[in-house]
Amino acid sequence: MKDLQVKQIVYTEEAIRRRTEELGKQITADYEGKELILIGVLKGSLYFFSDLTRAIDLPIGVDLISIGNIPDTTSQTGIVRIMKDLDLTITGKHVLLIEDILRTGLTTAYLLQSLATRKPADIRVCTLLYNPDRLLINVPIAYYGFEVNRNWLVGYGMDVDEKWRNLPYIAELNR
Amino acid sequence: MSIITISRQVGSLGDEVAEALSSKLDWELITRNQLIDRFFADKANDKQKHLLNESAKFYLSEIEGYGTYKDLLEQSLYNLAGNSSAILVGFGSQVIFAGNPDAVHVRIIAPEKTRITRIRKKYSVSETEAGQILAMADTKHKRFVSTVFGEDITNSSLYHITLNTSKLGVDECTAAIIALQREHELRCRLLKENEKMDTLDHQTDLPVFKNPSEAEFARILDMYQIAWKYEPKTFPVEWDAEGNITLAFSPDFYLTQFDTYLELTTMNQKYVTEKNRKLKKVRELYPGTNIRIVYKKDFISLIERFKMTYTGDGESCT
Repeated sequence: MKDLQVKQIVYTEEAIRRRTEELGKQITADYEGKELILIGVLKGSLYFFSDLTRAIDLPIGVDLISIGNIPDTTSQTGIVRIMKDLDLTITGKHVLLIEDILRTGLTTAYLLQSLATRKPADIRVCTLLYNPDRLLINVPIAYYGFEVNRNWLVGYGMDVDEKWRNLPYIAELNR
Repeated sequence: MSIITISRQVGSLGDEVAEALSSKLDWELITRNQLIDRFFADKANDKQKHLLNESAKFYLSEIEGYGTYKDLLEQSLYNLAGNSSAILVGFGSQVIFAGNPDAVHVRIIAPEKTRITRIRKKYSVSETEAGQILAMADTKHKRFVSTVFGEDITNSSLYHITLNTSKLGVDECTAAIIALQREHELRCRLLKENEKMDTLDHQTDLPVFKNPSEAEFARILDMYQIAWKYEPKTFPVEWDAEGNITLAFSPDFYLTQFDTYLELTTMNQKYVTEKNRKLKKVRELYPGTNIRIVYKKDFISLIERFKMTYTGDGESCT
């Protein structure tokens, strides 16, 4: 791709496909007979969410959520708020929050707290990538694709300055 | 389990607050009306139940093999509180659970004029009749607690908080009590942990940050609505031969909902090494403690994400 300065491909298209299928099978077995809703966190989880939901052999519900930072004139920091809320009701249902990558876990913690107020049966997290050394908050990670310890990853939903999300593989950039 | 007791004046909207609390917290609501059938069903016949309803003194009567009705009431409530969280309205519950550190005791009041107006509307009675209803009910409540438990129901030291519903609505009272209960529960948990682990409690009322990066990190946590306490606890990690503490670690932040301690390391590498050493010791000496370091690169990336001003000075190793 033009202008793309890849240091190395970290996970190939094939490796991601295989791992996603494994996760799909595991989730299918764990949630059989339960009412499950998968919630994808935009935009990063876009492709993982799309492939994972199709790898699950259950009549699941799917929905998307996104959060953003709203500037606030009364503070330096602004406020984190849900920008695109769920369309489905999750009360009494099992919820799996789908993330592309867990870094500090602050965003996921915010979403978990917010979704918990809607009283689902339970909420767990499935992330394609996570870095256990950088995770600041104990979020309930039920499933993960790969452990990573690299910076500047792009592709398969992940971006740098909104670029390279549409790469079919995950790459580390030269920075 | 947690308990909220509500002592209320008639016409103070105390019952409405209790119902709203029960609904919001999803805790069981126990009122005096349910009490007799629930706890005395097989210990009292119809006449005795009537007396339990009407006479405070009757609670001091003996039931064969169970002590007094008062004893049975207390034991039943202790059993209930041992199994589930509940909201208890009236019947001297603030006295019964006075020594329970997990209980929050609330008194709900309103000026007589306000209460008379409410009673007039509710029962469609005259002002004089409303005044009489109020006087009778106040006397009955006061007499019950005084006779059975020897306490004055109006003694403010029995309560954590008193709310006046001529100035606060039911929603405001409910929100205030829930917030108080959550803070109290957290404080009790930390106190118990300190007793158990022999760590030092120094929860501060107002955080005084030691450097700007701590203040900025606190703002980031606020943005994400992640509740935190600043340096609520000190973990002793080394002692001398006489048992005096020679090295201790006070993590900067405690994330209350995630039971996690965080320590910032945003500047000097020598502090990072020292902090990692202390952190390792805390993990060894206090197993089960979730404690993590916020490294400089993560801190900077959070700052950049929200375009905050980072001056990056004044870090120390505590």
